[in-house]
Amino acid sequence: MNNLKMKKGRSVITYIMLVILAAYAIALIGVLLWAIMTSFKSLDDFRANPTFLPKVFSWNYGIVYNAYSIQVLFNDELYYVGMLEMYFNSVAYALGGAFFQTMVTCITAYVCARYPFRFSKVLHSIVIVTMIIPVVGNLVSEIQVATALGLTYHIWGTWIMKANFMGLYFLVFYEFSKSLSPSYFEAARIDGANDWHILLRIALPLLRNLILTVMLINFIAYWNDYQIPLIYIPNKPTISYGMYYFSFGRTDNELAGVPMYMAAAILVVVPVIAVFLCFHKKLLGNLTVGGVK
Amino acid sequence: MLKKSLQFYIIILIWPVLQFAVFYIGVNFNSFLLAFQNIDTYNNVTTFTFDNITNAFNLITTDPAMGETITNSLISYGLSLVNGIPLGLLFAYYIFKKWPLAGSFRVILFLPSILPVIVSVTIYMYFVENALEFVLKEYFGKTTPLGFLSNPDTRFGAVLFFAIFTGFGTSVLMYTNKMNSIDPEILEAGKLDGASGFKEFWYIVLPLTYPTLTIFLYTGIITIFTSQLNLYSFYSSRSSIQTIGYFLYVSTQRAQGNVSLYPAVAAYGLIFTCVAVPLTFIVKFLLEKFGPSED
Repeated sequence: MNNLKMKKGRSVITYIMLVILAAYAIALIGVLLWAIMTSFKSLDDFRANPTFLPKVFSWNYGIVYNAYSIQVLFNDELYYVGMLEMYFNSVAYALGGAFFQTMVTCITAYVCARYPFRFSKVLHSIVIVTMIIPVVGNLVSEIQVATALGLTYHIWGTWIMKANFMGLYFLVFYEFSKSLSPSYFEAARIDGANDWHILLRIALPLLRNLILTVMLINFIAYWNDYQIPLIYIPNKPTISYGMYYFSFGRTDNELAGVPMYMAAAILVVVPVIAVFLCFHKKLLGNLTVGGVK
Repeated sequence: MLKKSLQFYIIILIWPVLQFAVFYIGVNFNSFLLAFQNIDTYNNVTTFTFDNITNAFNLITTDPAMGETITNSLISYGLSLVNGIPLGLLFAYYIFKKWPLAGSFRVILFLPSILPVIVSVTIYMYFVENALEFVLKEYFGKTTPLGFLSNPDTRFGAVLFFAIFTGFGTSVLMYTNKMNSIDPEILEAGKLDGASGFKEFWYIVLPLTYPTLTIFLYTGIITIFTSQLNLYSFYSSRSSIQTIGYFLYVSTQRAQGNVSLYPAVAAYGLIFTCVAVPLTFIVKFLLEKFGPSED
């Protein structure tokens, strides 16, 4: 009887949660589907019927892709950046930023975990302290420093600014590197491998899965970010920056209207969705706070 | 061998240490100095003054608009605690228990985290202002004088709802992964002692997930001062409602290129940092002292 009650109790919670989660999922997917449907409508069709399927499918994507561009004034020179170039800028910004940030974090964490010098503990403490101590409003100072070092207006400048070892992922790499069996490294040393060989041929291959996961997360974060490009590389607009500009800075009539906005939004999001669908198991499975599953 | 390892160690750490020295220590030290500077770009003279701090402090403590900005930031943080954390934990528990459709919900809950905020905001904004308005009017006969995001009475609520609605992804992921690391023997032992369903969640899973939760709680304090509540994506620099994070970002953007305006922004940053640091440590201390034990 008691057992029956417990099972009954559990199923009630299960069903309540199921209803809440299903409602959440339907709302989320519903809004995304609405955006996709709207992106295929003509403006007149949308005005008459802002919900449900389009009466006639309009290929707004072609118009947005061909017509949309951002006007950039840089070094007294006026030029236009089209969508293809924005994609290219996004790839360069996100791929470079994710690669350098992840590799610096990974290698620094590995070295701190495997080399028991006193300075390793100092760096580990620095990461923890900087995570706990919040610093607010230092962006103006960062702009000043970046400008003084000549890093603004260059995509590679943003890579340098972000290629640090701080943050949660240092701890994840640190714990993983610490948990690696010493026998791998001892055997390599007996075979005559030096520290560089051990790093490149043993440690990094062992850390490969985790590196890929963190790099993917960083890549998505960089791809989605538009506020940092808006400040540091306004001359190299990325695709997310382009979406911001599309929403607030655009003046041409050809691209006016909600269907065009939705088509632009879908064009921005397609590469990220593709990356997510390909790698969602890696993205969702590998990380815990302060450790690795 | 040790000498070669030390050489390797030093070479590897040159970049990270240099980067940290410039972009953390250097930037923050410069930010501190900026807060006390008066930069005359016309005559190219920099002098030191307390005026920036005094002015910023006066504005923070007396200006009603700034009071509203701080209140908005606190409401936003409070709501994320009251709604986001309990729901996030329950969602994570559902996924952890592998109840029906758990795998699909895990992906769906994470989906907003991978979408660019500017895209999610654009879609949400036009959905609320067009499709939702249309449905309310056509099917429920309700008309609103302005859209939910345009109407001054509803826009803050609509922006808050969006933040909570799209904010589960990372926390649910981390909670679930932490729950998955719980030793199954502990759960089995709990079951034998009669802890099933909600009891299992409350007495076993929650205490064992608590370390992850505390990290989110005390590192989340900074979001009171940095969260923009996506206002820049909703309204660009023309939002009539503000949070501290939004105020600082917009002030920075307006100051960009005009160095004489930097010290005022840095002064706000310094004052808010002076509040954020002790607040974080107090919350950390309280959570560690009064929270449940993993034992």
